[in-house]
Amino acid sequence: MTTVLRTEELRKQFGDLVATDDVSLEFDDQHVTSIIGPNGAGKTTFYNLLTGVLQPTSGEIWLRKDGDMTEITDAEPHEVARSGLSRSYQITNIFEGLTVRENLQVARIAHEGRTFDMRSRPDADEELNEEIDDLMELTNLTEIAETKCDTLSHGEKRNVEIALALAIEPSVFLLDEPTAGMNPTETEEIVSLIRELNRDIDATFIVTEHDMGVVTDISDRIVVLAEGAVLADGEPEAVLSDERVTEAYLGSETV
Amino acid sequence: MSTQNDGLVDRIGNVGRQAIGNGWTTERFALLGLLALVVVSVGPQFQVYLFTEFLIIALFAVAFNLLYGYTGLLSFGHAMFFGAGAYGLAIVLRDYQSAIAEIVGTGLAPLATFVVGGIAGVALALLIAIPVGYLSVRLEEIYFALITLAFGMLFYSLLLQDPYGLTNGSDGIFVALGGVELGGTEFRLAGRRIYYYITATVVTISIYGIWRIVNSPFGTICKALRESPDRAAALGINVSVHRWMTFIVSALFVSIAGVLIAGFSSVATPNEAHWSMSATPVVATVIGGASYFGGPIVGAFLYHYVRWGISRFPALEAYWELFFGIMLIVVVLYFKQGAAGGLAMVGAWLRNVQAAYDRGGANAATAFVRESIGEKLGSMMSRSTTGRSDDGGTDR
Repeated sequence: MTTVLRTEELRKQFGDLVATDDVSLEFDDQHVTSIIGPNGAGKTTFYNLLTGVLQPTSGEIWLRKDGDMTEITDAEPHEVARSGLSRSYQITNIFEGLTVRENLQVARIAHEGRTFDMRSRPDADEELNEEIDDLMELTNLTEIAETKCDTLSHGEKRNVEIALALAIEPSVFLLDEPTAGMNPTETEEIVSLIRELNRDIDATFIVTEHDMGVVTDISDRIVVLAEGAVLADGEPEAVLSDERVTEAYLGSETV
Repeated sequence: MSTQNDGLVDRIGNVGRQAIGNGWTTERFALLGLLALVVVSVGPQFQVYLFTEFLIIALFAVAFNLLYGYTGLLSFGHAMFFGAGAYGLAIVLRDYQSAIAEIVGTGLAPLATFVVGGIAGVALALLIAIPVGYLSVRLEEIYFALITLAFGMLFYSLLLQDPYGLTNGSDGIFVALGGVELGGTEFRLAGRRIYYYITATVVTISIYGIWRIVNSPFGTICKALRESPDRAAALGINVSVHRWMTFIVSALFVSIAGVLIAGFSSVATPNEAHWSMSATPVVATVIGGASYFGGPIVGAFLYHYVRWGISRFPALEAYWELFFGIMLIVVVLYFKQGAAGGLAMVGAWLRNVQAAYDRGGANAATAFVRESIGEKLGSMMSRSTTGRSDDGGTDR
């Protein structure tokens, strides 16, 4: 078991508001970790700090890259991604005006470092498209490969969302509310996809999720955030039976 | 060696089949475009002249659209690079023609000076585009438009004020392309037909180059930046560097158009760099359709020929901007995809009419026509009250 991602007293303040309160966490390469917490607990801020979208007020972020832990605290989003940390978005963020295949071409071109290649043609690049075909097979996108994304259903877009993040072959994969806005069938499909991915690819999965069924289904470890700080951290049964956790979720109401 | 030749012959054969086979392929459009270029060259002298100017504006607009339609950045200062190209050629022609003549001999000197001047124009644009692009691409949307406008006006006022005695102020620099003597034949570079051949060749090659770029991995990333820059960054793309590169490439192609316009109008004046010149590719692109590769070409054609058409009626000429205003309003309200989008819609509609005819003969076709026109009118009426509809952006 190796640590692949570590935060040290990570802190983010917006004025007087402490959005992330000295969070020190380690993530290893074998467990699926879910980060949960009530609305406003600071999950998205934590993700934005990890991915370089926001700069922390203090603290450090370390990521394993080529076998060594490397500090990425001040890295910009594209540098974080190039270091092997990839994310999906809670609010679908894909290239709507492009087809599914073109979306994945973007990710693969970026991953292969060919963004300044003005000579070749992605459509005629067999190797590139074979890789994309495999990826679409894995994420159930084969049938809609040539469809423009703005005409897809919500569930299909969510699949593209995950396929995009996956296409850059991350070592750490942050999923931000992967089942957001999905119906039960689609949720079921995403859950089995995440399980499949966790089995097949060599990446560390960190998931935020509000659907407790999904959380207990997929996670080996649960971290609870409340008001920006870590409230509980451990195995699912232990964390979910923790009184403080129930309280944080339900406030003064009792079950 | 032979396999390579076979490959080339096969490829040419393939393009040929695509061009004359069934369907409106890109190859067929390209073939028709090339045919049009040849047909025009034997037309009346004045039409050749008019068409030459259209080609230059078309290149200007297509190069501009690499940044606008493909990358999502609306520059309002591209006349800066148009002017840079024009002045690069003009200054070389004024100051270095005799030096170049000493090297290559008087017979070839005008041609050599034209080539060197063209390279100087492009180099000057590069020199400006690197810092201006670096500073501008940090901003987006209206702020990007405003900062490019500001840089454009700065360049314009430098040309006008002429602090270093280089640009000859508001009069500009006279551009006289001489006569070339080559092995007994003699021709004037500025002759209308000769200049048309030069322009047609340069514009065709340049537009083909831009076509290759938008269909390359580089161009794919440009489209991604237009759709969602933060997602592109999350995939490992350096958004500002890629925008910067696109800005520079776009500026270089615009400067080629600038070089051509100086030779065309025999003068380089600050007007080439004025902000109203920056509006030319914007208007042409919006009228033509920014989401189609050929949109700016269609738009430049309409822009140029409608203006010419109006100028034939002296009573209307003073109001030509009024006509463009009306045209723009109609396009923005009813054809979000521009004239190229409108043509594509008409094409699709004609195919549907054909399909209806194939299914049920003339009656079915008439019924389809009546029904679809009724529908269209109905949706137009409702659109004018509910705001504009989105007929979907595409890259073609």
